[in-house]
Amino acid sequence: MSAVHPAPGWAASPSRANQVWRFRELLRQLILRNLKVKYQRSLLGFVWTFLNPLLTVAILVLVFSHVVRIPLPDYWAFVLSGYFVWNCILQTLNTGTYIFAEHSRLTRSVAFPSEILVLGAVGSRLLEFVAEITLILVLLVAFHHHHVPASFALLPILLAIQVLLVIGLALPIATLSVFYYDVQHALPIALTTLFYLSPVFYPAQMVPEAARPFYFLNPIAGLLTLYHEILYAGRMPSFTLLFGMIAAALLVYVIGYAIFNRYCSVFSEIV
Amino acid sequence: MPFSTATAASSPKSSDRAVEAAVELRGVSKRFYYYEHRTSSLREWFIRRILHRPLNVRRAEFTLRSFDLRVGHGEAVALIGSNGSGKSTALRLIAGIYQPSSGSVRTCGRLTAVIELGAGFHPELTGADNVALYAAVLGLGRRELMARFDEVVDFAEMREFMDTPLKYYSSGMEARLAFSVAVCLQPDVLLLDEVLAVGDQAFRDRCLARLRAYHAAGGTLILVSHEVDQIRELCSRAVWLEHGVMRMDGDVDQVLAAYRANDSLYRSRGAS
Repeated sequence: MSAVHPAPGWAASPSRANQVWRFRELLRQLILRNLKVKYQRSLLGFVWTFLNPLLTVAILVLVFSHVVRIPLPDYWAFVLSGYFVWNCILQTLNTGTYIFAEHSRLTRSVAFPSEILVLGAVGSRLLEFVAEITLILVLLVAFHHHHVPASFALLPILLAIQVLLVIGLALPIATLSVFYYDVQHALPIALTTLFYLSPVFYPAQMVPEAARPFYFLNPIAGLLTLYHEILYAGRMPSFTLLFGMIAAALLVYVIGYAIFNRYCSVFSEIV
Repeated sequence: MPFSTATAASSPKSSDRAVEAAVELRGVSKRFYYYEHRTSSLREWFIRRILHRPLNVRRAEFTLRSFDLRVGHGEAVALIGSNGSGKSTALRLIAGIYQPSSGSVRTCGRLTAVIELGAGFHPELTGADNVALYAAVLGLGRRELMARFDEVVDFAEMREFMDTPLKYYSSGMEARLAFSVAVCLQPDVLLLDEVLAVGDQAFRDRCLARLRAYHAAGGTLILVSHEVDQIRELCSRAVWLEHGVMRMDGDVDQVLAAYRANDSLYRSRGAS
């Protein structure tokens, strides 16, 4: 075993993957740390994590079923099956803007593949999301479907798509944040815009046919539609949507990782 | 043992290496860029564009210039020099934290660099959790850690504090715990950057004894320090850096004597 000496470049080299694998214990420790620090001294712990987005869901349901009417049966179930996904993505991307600054001492004094910090943030948030989605599944089965739809079996594939997508977006955001602190201010604005341009409180079918090709350039829109199909509608998604999203997530992941790879070797000099 | 190389300009020829070194730097230069002027507003951007002035004025500064260093297995070498002479940069290059601007860095075996003690420590976590985290930061696997955990705790003599969050530790205790993790890892190459001055005298003595034992067992040690006694005690060879260039490389006593003579020369000149 030797010190980390990745050659700078766009392409992720096999030695880079080897380094991440060598530091897998660090990844595990970081995920554990994130969860411990968040929950160990909190009595209600996970209740807060779940309650906060649930409150937003309640407001969305109130507004869009009584003020602005979105004609969907069991509208609450629709919002519930998408909003937590959106919330998970939003929080992870926001973490990306400060993760390297937060760990500047570490980055400056230890040679390790720095994407592990981002992967750790994605990992711990994903574990929370799995707990959230489990509760949501129970609610949907009990009060919406009254049986377990077969489409729920696709959930692991959706999680995989989500992980690739989030890593592929968080890595370039974190990279850019190392060089420009503006990202921290700009990202929340971008995400607020994206909230309205993604099917969180309305179904994608309501978007005018002509605008849909552009609308689905946003990969999060496709992911949310998949969640709506398998969780809310309880039916198998279309072949095109599912495999289109797998391809899109892979593409985002590869491009995002490449951007990170191009610049990561100078992080230790800048943060 | 597997090797890793970082090559910016020239690649080392493997044919002319008789014996593998633990650490080998060839013609390594490191320059840092910083901005003397950087266009920060749109208005200025337009004005500078129209007047054909450069948008950003960048200056490059060499911290290390064509530096060659070969450290054999089992050697103990001290890097000395005044502040800003490039010692820490050299150490970071060896550790792989920095990429060389030109030249090549080659290391052999497992390398542990302690540039800042307890980097990665989290105040909210317990002592035991922090030991696990720091060991992972330094590249230790799960099984290796479990095998060494008791050794670390015993060396720090802090078993009763293992379930206490780190934020209740004194700074001395924190440094002691961090140092214990670092010295118990048993790497092939150990890099230490001015981190030996931790804890009370008794702990320091045990650290020195531990490092001597590590060296006696064949471990390679590269040390950045300003404490002459420590350097004499641990190292047989010293490398003197000045303004990023190697001034002298050789027997520890000779190099230290030359360094001190030079230092007092400067001081007397400054005084007159």
